[in-house]
Amino acid sequence: MPGNRTRKSCATAVVLALCAALAGCSGTDEASGVSGQAVLRYTWWGNPDRAARTQAAVELFEKQNPGIDVQTSFAGYEAYKQKLATQAAGGDAPDVMQLDYRMIDQYASGGVLLDLAGQRSALDTGEFEPGLLATGKVDGKQYAVPQGRGTETMVYDTEKWQAAGVEPPRVGWTWSEWADAMRKVTARTGVPGGTDPGQSEDAFEIWLRGQGRSLYTGDRQLGFDADDLTRWWTFTDKLRREGVVSSAEQTTQIDGTVENTPLGRGKAASDVNWDAPASGYLALVPTGISLAPMPAGEDGTPGQYFKPSMFMGVAADSGHPEESARLIDFMLNDREAAKILGATRGIPVNESIREDIAADLKDFDKTIYDYQATVEGKLNPPPQAPPSGDSALQTTFQRDYDQVSYERMSPREAAENYITEAKAELRS
Amino acid sequence: MTTTQSPTTAADKGVHPTDRPARRRRREGAAWVFLSPWVLGACVLTLLPMAVSLYLSFTDYDLFNAPNWVGLRNYTQMFTEDPRYWRSVVATLTYVVIAVPLQLALALLVALALKNMRRGRGFYRSAFYAPSLLGASMSIALVWRAIFNDGGTVDNLLGAGGWVNRPGWALLAVALLTVWQFGAPMVIFLAGLQQIPGELYEAAEVDGAGAWRRFLSITVPMLSPVIFFNLVLQTIQAFQVFTPAFAISAGKGGPADSTLFYTLYLYDRGFVASHMGYASAMAWVLLLAIGAVTAILFRTSRSWVFYASEGDR
Repeated sequence: MPGNRTRKSCATAVVLALCAALAGCSGTDEASGVSGQAVLRYTWWGNPDRAARTQAAVELFEKQNPGIDVQTSFAGYEAYKQKLATQAAGGDAPDVMQLDYRMIDQYASGGVLLDLAGQRSALDTGEFEPGLLATGKVDGKQYAVPQGRGTETMVYDTEKWQAAGVEPPRVGWTWSEWADAMRKVTARTGVPGGTDPGQSEDAFEIWLRGQGRSLYTGDRQLGFDADDLTRWWTFTDKLRREGVVSSAEQTTQIDGTVENTPLGRGKAASDVNWDAPASGYLALVPTGISLAPMPAGEDGTPGQYFKPSMFMGVAADSGHPEESARLIDFMLNDREAAKILGATRGIPVNESIREDIAADLKDFDKTIYDYQATVEGKLNPPPQAPPSGDSALQTTFQRDYDQVSYERMSPREAAENYITEAKAELRS
Repeated sequence: MTTTQSPTTAADKGVHPTDRPARRRRREGAAWVFLSPWVLGACVLTLLPMAVSLYLSFTDYDLFNAPNWVGLRNYTQMFTEDPRYWRSVVATLTYVVIAVPLQLALALLVALALKNMRRGRGFYRSAFYAPSLLGASMSIALVWRAIFNDGGTVDNLLGAGGWVNRPGWALLAVALLTVWQFGAPMVIFLAGLQQIPGELYEAAEVDGAGAWRRFLSITVPMLSPVIFFNLVLQTIQAFQVFTPAFAISAGKGGPADSTLFYTLYLYDRGFVASHMGYASAMAWVLLLAIGAVTAILFRTSRSWVFYASEGDR
């Protein structure tokens, strides 16, 4: 018995010693910096303009934090979405990732994201609008932080619209007034007035909200039926047949980058998009672009809304959660960073920074700020975050409309197809 | 082929009649040691993933949450509730029927032209083979897209509009990219052609057979095992076409699902819509379909493939 006890305590001592040695090792490494720099992977989607500004901001962050090395990478939205899903599934999610409204539910419930409440010392969210901040919560936990505030807009080629003698759109214009404008611009410039909005689930949502409906109900089911979608697609299909919105051949090339939109390719005089990426059109439309509010329902009900343009989140298994949170804090709360980033991810969510930089905003950032001011207080509140199946349904929506615009299905057939697919997607 | 293979174990016994079991075991052990990298690779990288995929095909695995057993639901949904699945089957079959015969015909044609060439054969063989090395890459597919896009080279030269933006033409543009990569079957054809004895042609020529007659009566039958080999290989490959369609349609299989090939839709279900269970089920159906098509090809081969060894018997 005594021998046994000695052996046991010996073993315990060895284990403890080992633990201490290991702990000591890691401790000294951290302190002396022998382990080298903390390398963070930061990925996001966007255009070259956003890339240049993000890189400049990240370089400033690295300068202020010599121990942290940030490796950035970016892609177009569709490609980014697929790559991130694959990485996350493989347990290889980047430390810091840009997320969309539609991704948060899926990624948070799948255990990919870190609860940022544990990083309060590194990430300060005190100056965020509480309502906007809450959009990054799932089951009461803050899995992501909104990065900017955006809203949809009709971007148009200023010179073409002026040449056509069409009045600039005002807040509260209706979809039939929008259609008339499309006809006038086309007749007088010879270029289709706009991108066919039939392919865009976002545009459909605004049209739907203009009639007091919504994409999803509170219990994660579809908030509309085949009749609603048939009416929308009949409306857009008629305009396409008239040639006043882009042709099927042009519309099908849309892939989430501004370069491949009809407006970006010089094949249409306007486009429907979010306001933040609209800066990308500047390089593609040399004659200049303007932002207009989205059309409202026929009785003036606004369909447009403010939504968090995008979020930042940290991987649950990141080796550097604190450094990652610090990077997010820098991108959202640092005044210098805010100046560099401007409105490339939407107007900042930090309220004092938003007021602060308003005067400093230049060029297109100012255009976005002024545009948001025109609709401020005139929009209805945003819908709740969409269920996770919605992410795939966006693409399905576009593909089903392809069948309409290439005249392979009637709007009714395609709409019924979509409803079937959507129900299957939301069920699983 | 079969006649050259002799039962090796029997031969071993003949050579080492004094082998005792222990010694043989030791030599077998050595064999396993040398084989182990391959065996490990096959198990970890092929068999295990296949088994997992078979299991997942009966679940609703979505990449993020633990899989739930759903029985045959993925399979029934595929066959009865998914019109886009059938569009992908039709697109793939159309592609196979267009691309494979065109590619093999071109490969044979070029091989025939090179066969009688005295000088520069090496150069031309490499030149024609190069596209096969490049062709599978994403970058060439992107170049292809630029060529066939509206405002691209083909549009400017022929004025046919962007091929890749028209449902009737996009599939053809993808097929042309495959046909252009005829190098591998060409090299095999060339090797086969050189095996045909020259006396056969001489004798036929003496008997007054023209070039076409000689091609039909000598080249095709003598080459039929090689044609068959290329046909099977290229058909299996064509069923799995992915990269060109992915690049040309920006991952969507458009326009209007016209290039939504089977593997592209499989990828879409798995990685875009996060339905890994459904994608796995699709993969297994594809495996069975390719197996069936290959079996049918082997069945028909009995009536048209001629093996010289059979003639000897």
